[in-house]
Amino acid sequence: MNSVDVVIVGSGASGAAAAWSLSRDANLRIVCLEQGGQGDPKQYPTTLANWELSRHGLASSKPSERNNHADYPIDDTNSPISIANFNGFGGSTILYSGHFPRFHPSDFRTKQLDGVGDDWPLSYQDLEPYFTLNEKMMGIAGLVGDPAYPEYENLLPPVPMGPAGQKIANAFNTLGWHWWPSYSAINTRSHGGRGSCINLGPCNTGCTQGAKGSVDVTYWPIAKRQGVEIRTECSVYDISLNQHDKVNGVHYVDAKGLQQFQEASVVILACSGIGTPRLLLNSKSVAFPNGLLNEYGNVGRHLMLHPLAYTEAVFEDDLKSSIGPQGCCILSQQFYETDMDRDFSRGYTMQILRGAPPMETAVSGYMMRRIPLGPEHHKEFAKYFNRTVGIAVIAEDLPHAENCVVLDDENCDINGMPGVKIHYTLDDNTKKMLAHGVERSKHVLETAGGRVISSFAPVKNAGWHLMGTARMGHDPKTSVVNSFGQGHNVENLFVVDSSIFTTSGAVNPVATAQALTLKICDHLRNNLSDLERST
Amino acid sequence: MIDILCDTILPGDEDLGLPSGAIIDIDRYIHRADIGAQVKEYGQLLDELSLEKFNEGFVALDVGLRLEIVELSRRRNNRLSNIIIIHCMKAYYTDANVLKWLPAGAVPPFPAGNPLKEDDWSLLEPVYERGQAYRPVSP
Repeated sequence: MNSVDVVIVGSGASGAAAAWSLSRDANLRIVCLEQGGQGDPKQYPTTLANWELSRHGLASSKPSERNNHADYPIDDTNSPISIANFNGFGGSTILYSGHFPRFHPSDFRTKQLDGVGDDWPLSYQDLEPYFTLNEKMMGIAGLVGDPAYPEYENLLPPVPMGPAGQKIANAFNTLGWHWWPSYSAINTRSHGGRGSCINLGPCNTGCTQGAKGSVDVTYWPIAKRQGVEIRTECSVYDISLNQHDKVNGVHYVDAKGLQQFQEASVVILACSGIGTPRLLLNSKSVAFPNGLLNEYGNVGRHLMLHPLAYTEAVFEDDLKSSIGPQGCCILSQQFYETDMDRDFSRGYTMQILRGAPPMETAVSGYMMRRIPLGPEHHKEFAKYFNRTVGIAVIAEDLPHAENCVVLDDENCDINGMPGVKIHYTLDDNTKKMLAHGVERSKHVLETAGGRVISSFAPVKNAGWHLMGTARMGHDPKTSVVNSFGQGHNVENLFVVDSSIFTTSGAVNPVATAQALTLKICDHLRNNLSDLERST
Repeated sequence: MIDILCDTILPGDEDLGLPSGAIIDIDRYIHRADIGAQVKEYGQLLDELSLEKFNEGFVALDVGLRLEIVELSRRRNNRLSNIIIIHCMKAYYTDANVLKWLPAGAVPPFPAGNPLKEDDWSLLEPVYERGQAYRPVSP
């Protein structure tokens, strides 16, 4: 294979942003290797009436349900939260809800402010221009002026709340609590050559309309036009070093099952908080016998997952609650910042979720013995369908070295590369936070006139937010990469996905991961010639 | 037999204008879901219980007695019963005609989508009035 300037491993949220950012320099030769295949939006489940069935099949967030050859074994039996992801062109953005808030200024200074976690080696202000740029590229809807954030510059019009959102918003007002229309990667008018959302709801099985800002329809079309070559169904299993212990490329198995080597001056990892440590740990050498960048045993540690609590209520009125983007309605950050009067540090976001679609309503109602079989079935079903509203509490997850990803040599993928085992427990701070969130969720739903029908924490199948396993910091003994996502001792190896997060914040991570990527890639582009000379 | 089961657990409702579970193409669903063997096993269980209790096969019973047998089957073999009952529900609630009758908004292939009214953002006035809610952090 011809040598390239940059090889990017992973085509998801961060890999796509990196590809776009770097390819603005037309002189750079860039290849992206993606282990999954290329999907076809015309074939997404939402083109069929039975789209709900795909949530437990091809479009499941659980690798074990998808039966996709691109997935690798993930043993999460030692975790109360299961790992959720998607391996394919566009990564997990294909299935995400598109809930897109930024981290807050305090999220970068948890040690300084609250004596917990660690401080990031950069600040909100450092990322602010990149947040703005990224929101333009991804097409973010929302409303400027939110008192819970420093000023946003510009957003698309907010996603409509619908009658359900209005009901909950009024309850927040009654309680005197913060709420705001969700920041959503969903076109509410034409933007970026894509059409507007038509409020169907099933965003999590892929958006056929292209209104949801998944990176296959935002960054990638431009990155490809700018010359980036994408190779799908290519599984990287090793990052190679030269005689000076700098990276010189990656070994991978291509779509035909053949082993290949792609030589590159710079390697960028964007494989998620699970895939990135897996690849680093598997890249063993004389210089790094325990895995690349793992001299101090930090790779794979400090896994953070954003434990969720969920509370659901049913209302007397037909709220048409299943209509509209399921995960994007309104949010509340009333309990986001640390309050010394509470028994926990840091805080959480309340993400208001629209009601379940028909099949989910019927099946969960049957399982919970709310909806009977027989003559009363339809009347009882009608009391729930379009009348439920949920609140997901997204809790800040503090970093602990014991929460980790390790290689699982006994369970390998189809190419023989080890899968991973997850070791993860909830700390007391998180448990108290979740309990607080459940009580406050019940309070707001009851204030809105709802009857709470379900409430639990943590939510098992909700490990979407994979953070911290190749954390950034100033000190090589306690972190894996520096503030530019650059390996402490391997300067031409960069990590750009959410594995570099020092702390987790309490919001969905994609906006922050992509802003970090854009910042890192600016630095990389400005220093690429020096890097190439030194290697 | 499976269509009789669907009609039993999901009978039509004239008041709500909803069709019986018997109208859906359950055989096609079973084939796609590859659950033929489990459906056969559950059918045998229903027949066994019907004969035990009423000396007749399941399909020969009237709808009230059939429902009684279905409930009994849940106590006898909860796992198998739930698998088949839930599959019947999944088949019913993903059928295009049922979705139209519910109504569940636009039904794929989504020619029009679902309109939502413009929101009145003056609802946010109290939130504005309370002022800054994020913590100041020195750079």
